[in-house]
Order: sequence, then structure tokens, then C-alpha cells
Amino acid sequence: MQLFWLSVGFGLVTASVLAISAVGLSLQFGITNYINFAYGDFMALGAFVTYVLNNEVLHWNIWVALVAGSLAIGVLAVILNRLILSPFARRFSKSFYVLIVTFGLSLVLLNIEYSIWGADVRFFQMPIDRALHIGPLLLTKYQLVVMAIAIVLMLGVHAMLKTTRLGKSMRAMSDNTTLAMTSGIDTKRITTITWFLSGTLAGLAGAVLGITEGNLTPASGELFLFVIFAAVIVGGVGSIYGAMAGAVLIGLATEISAAFINPAYKLDTAFVILILTLLVRPAGLFARPGKA
Amino acid sequence: MSNIWYYVFTLVFFLFDYFILAMGLNIQYGETGILNFAYIGFVAVGSYVTGALALPSSVGTGQHYILGLGLPFPVNLILGGLASCGLAVVVALISLRRLRTDYLAMVLISLSLVLYDICNNFVPLFNGADGLYNVPEPFAGVLKLTTNSFIPFFAAVTGVIAALLWWVMSRITRSPQGRTFRAIRDDEVVAAALGKDVFRNQLKSMLIGSFYAGVGGGLIIQFSGSFNPTAWLPGETFVVFAVLIVGGVGNNVGMLVGSLVVETLLIHLPAFLPAIPGHPGLIEYFDSVLIGILLMAMLWFRPQGIVPERVRRALSLGAPANLVAGRGEAPGSAPGRPVPVEIATADAQGEK
Repeated sequence: MQLFWLSVGFGLVTASVLAISAVGLSLQFGITNYINFAYGDFMALGAFVTYVLNNEVLHWNIWVALVAGSLAIGVLAVILNRLILSPFARRFSKSFYVLIVTFGLSLVLLNIEYSIWGADVRFFQMPIDRALHIGPLLLTKYQLVVMAIAIVLMLGVHAMLKTTRLGKSMRAMSDNTTLAMTSGIDTKRITTITWFLSGTLAGLAGAVLGITEGNLTPASGELFLFVIFAAVIVGGVGSIYGAMAGAVLIGLATEISAAFINPAYKLDTAFVILILTLLVRPAGLFARPGKA
Repeated sequence: MSNIWYYVFTLVFFLFDYFILAMGLNIQYGETGILNFAYIGFVAVGSYVTGALALPSSVGTGQHYILGLGLPFPVNLILGGLASCGLAVVVALISLRRLRTDYLAMVLISLSLVLYDICNNFVPLFNGADGLYNVPEPFAGVLKLTTNSFIPFFAAVTGVIAALLWWVMSRITRSPQGRTFRAIRDDEVVAAALGKDVFRNQLKSMLIGSFYAGVGGGLIIQFSGSFNPTAWLPGETFVVFAVLIVGGVGNNVGMLVGSLVVETLLIHLPAFLPAIPGHPGLIEYFDSVLIGILLMAMLWFRPQGIVPERVRRALSLGAPANLVAGRGEAPGSAPGRPVPVEIATADAQGEK
């Protein structure tokens, strides 16, 4: 039983990281209507910028470095969208082209990361601390902070989408871009802001992934991307709330199965759930019309 | 034989092998429009099955694998191709029916990683992370070749197989079946409205492509004698896509050109460069960055590839000359992409 609760604790932490990253991916997918296969590399890059600020140059506190690293990836996402992705998306009506371009971008970013930082496993500079007992769960302070960040961000995204003008415009664009444009929404500006948010969330997710796993390599983002895909598809592509629900489901399922079956097959558990979802409810648990 | 020839024939082998792989992906993506991001998984299945069939029983070899029947060369290769087809049936039944492009791409790329994960961790299947090795050379008992004479010999065998598969593929793409594939690629709804069973045809295309993938993979393990999970990380699919896009989607000659440019010149030639001291792997990283950039540049400046798809005409119906002039830039189509002008009625009558 103790093993079970221990894995639930890990599951909630994984779910937090997944929720942050899945929401970032879904926001961008809702607006631009194509999947960004370079998202995992955005995450790894966020982790490495955080790592550089935390370890190499300035020895900043991990949380300060984290914020700076995330914002840097937000800016990078905007630049990459302006220079590469949005021209391709405008020019070719079929989504094949832009998907292959994001796949190519992923290859470029991953190998740039490898050439700068090599394939070695690296670690953040964090003071070691004792695990705390919270009810039946056993969690470290860092894990608690990561969970708090995830909860605050989810509430923030919810409030932004429901109450602000920006959120309303984003939802309108996600429903129908042409209609949003004719009602006077500056779609280009919204797209830029969305890429910034998506990139920032990716960078943040990558850094907190590094914190919770305790280490980082250039490939860690790409491996995690598949778990994000599972969470996003199970929740329903393009649905923000679906992404959150999918994150919790996949996060708990992978960690609990890791405790009782074999940690090596964590990824496969996520994939089995993904396949079952596709067979039973192909559009995901919280399907949105027109997006599936 | 000097080392130079050893390198040259290794390059020739990979040229032909990736030609086969690219043809397989082309029938799926280029002709039918299925964005198969799990392609390298099909290659791997073909490779493992071919290798495991050629190896003797695993008892006492220090390796763990299934099968181990010690079958002779062309038989195991064909069975490897068919095993890959078996995977295609499963994948198509689960994912092809109702998923739109993005979903399909996500599911397939995840599948590719999961296959990798299983083969890497589940040792009894194909020897886990070590992969299969000591796979017997084809015709070892008959010809008694040395390592040096085996390489040019097998490059030639691969060339013959590639030529044969090319002949078959060009028959398929020119047939009414090929036209049906392209109709589905260009517009599924229109193809369905003309009475074409979209799923059935996509399944056919997946099967043909997977067989090519399996054979291409089988040749790799027969050539090098070993195959392990690092050879087929999901990113490898991208290399085959690069061959396809650089060479020209929808054109079998383009595949050979693409294979020459991407696989031979960009991937295998730099591998022979001496490593930069103190920076192991740096050349490969730069190489991958270069391939990524080349691919994006190709898509932007020459999306039809080096050898573009031929504009096909229905001559029997006397298609007006202006319809095929200007390489078929039909209004409303993506710029730069040649749209094959096809008369739908001719297709509908052509295939029964």
C-alpha cells in the first residue's frame, strides 16, 4: 500500500508537468490548427537555458532561472513562428507541409542542443532537502512547488480564457479563424501572443521536468513529448480542459504502472491508454467539434 | 582490395537501400497522402524478422531472440517484408479509419517510439538494447566470400532487388490502382464520392509501402550482420522523408536522386570524416542540422523536389493542351506543386 501512495505522489508530480506542457501544446494547436513536433525540443531548450543561468554563468536561484528560461523560449517561439512556421502555414493549405517543417525544426533544435551541451546527463544546482509527509503522500519541497506552479497556471489559463478580451479572442479564433478575422480580431497579434504563451509554457515545463526528474539531457524533452501527445489525445486535441484531465489521467497511470509492472514500460502504458481511447472514443474524452 | 572501394560499395549499398525505403514511403505519403511518421518502425520489424529468421536457434548463442529458423537468404527477406505488412494491418485497423492528419501523425510517431521502447527493454524478443548480431551472411555456404568481396557482391544484389522493386512500383503507380491512390491523396471526399473505398485503398497502399520498408530493413541487417535499437530512433523516419522530399514526391526516379543526395552524400559520406578532437559526434550533429535546414529550404524553394512528379494526362480523352501546359498549376492548388491533371471519368471506367 505504501508503494501505491508513493507512486500516486509521483503520478501527481508527473501530472503537473504534463498539465503545463499539454496546455501549452493545446493552446497553440487550437489557434494554428497544426501540431508542433518541435515542442519537445522547446522544452529541452527551456531546461538548458535554465541550467545555464542556474549553473554556469550567474548561479541564479533555480526559480529565478526558471522564469528567465521560460520567457526566453517564449520569445524564441515567436521568432521561429514569424520566420519559418507561419510563412509555411500561409503558403501551403495542406497541413502535411507544416507538419514536416516542425519535424525538421525539431531535428535542427535537438542537434543544436547536442552540439552545445553534448549527450551528457546534467543536473541543476539545488539544495538537497528532506521529503515531507502529506497525508499518505511523500513529497519533497521541490515537487510541492512544481505542483503549486501547475495549479496556479491552470487557474490562470482558465481565468484568461474566460474573462479577458485576449482569452475571448483566442477562443473565437480557435473556433473559426475567418469569422474571428471578420469580426475585427487582430488574428496575427493573437497568433503571436499564443506562440509566446505556448513557448513560455514549453520552456517552463521542460525546466520543471528537469527539476522533478533530477537531471536533463537534450533528448529528455522529445521522449516526454510522446507522453504529452497521449495526454492531449486522451483529453481531446485542441481542448484545454481535456488536456488538463488527460494530463492527470496519464500522469497517474504511468507512475502507478511503473511501481507495479516495470518502470521501463512507463511509456507503453501511456500508449495503451491512448489506443484504448482511440478505439472507444476516437475524438478524445472532451472532444471539440471540428478539431478531431 | 583497398579501403576506398570498401567505402564506395558501402555507399552504393545505402544508395540502393534508401531508394527502396523511399519508394515504400512514397506510395504511402507521396501517392496516397498517408503521413506515416512510424515508417522506421516498419523498417525495423522487417530487419529484425529477417535477421531472426536467418540466425540459428538462439540456444547457446549468448543472444535472446524469437524464431531462429536458419532460413536461406531470399526467403527470410520476403518473410521480413510480410511481417512488416502484418504490422501495417494492425496499425491501419486501429488508426487509419477515422483519424485526421494531425492525430494520425501523433499516434504513428508515438507508435514508433513505443515499438523502439519495447524492443529496447524486452530482451527475449530481439535481444533488447544489444540488438541482433552475427547474422549469417547470405549465400555464405555457397560462395564462400571474404568480408571484402562480400560488400560489393551484396551491393550488387541490393541493386538488382531495387531495380526489380522499382519495376513493380512503376507498374503500380501507372495502373488504375495508382490513379485511385492519387485521387485519394488529392481529395478523399471526391474519391469516396466516385465510389472508391478510401480505407481499403489506404490499407492497400500501407501494405505495399510496408513490404518495401520491411525488405529495405532486411537488406540492412543482411548487409551489416547486426541491427540494434539505436539504428531506428523515431528521428530516422525523417531521413526517409528527406530523401523523398529532396528527390521529388510522387516520382520514382526522384527517389533515386534523393537517396543519392541525402543518404549517400549527406549522411554516409560525412561519417567517414575524421572526428573533431575533443568533440565526439559533433560532425553528426552538424550534419543533422544541415539535413533539417536543407529539407525546409527544399520545401520552400522547390516543393516539387529535384525531379518533379510527371503531369499525367488522359490521352484517350484528348485532354485540352492548355490543361496540361505550365506544369499543371491548377487554380487553388498549393503553389509550386504540380497537380496531376486527371480526368475522373477515365479513372472510374478504367478500374472495375
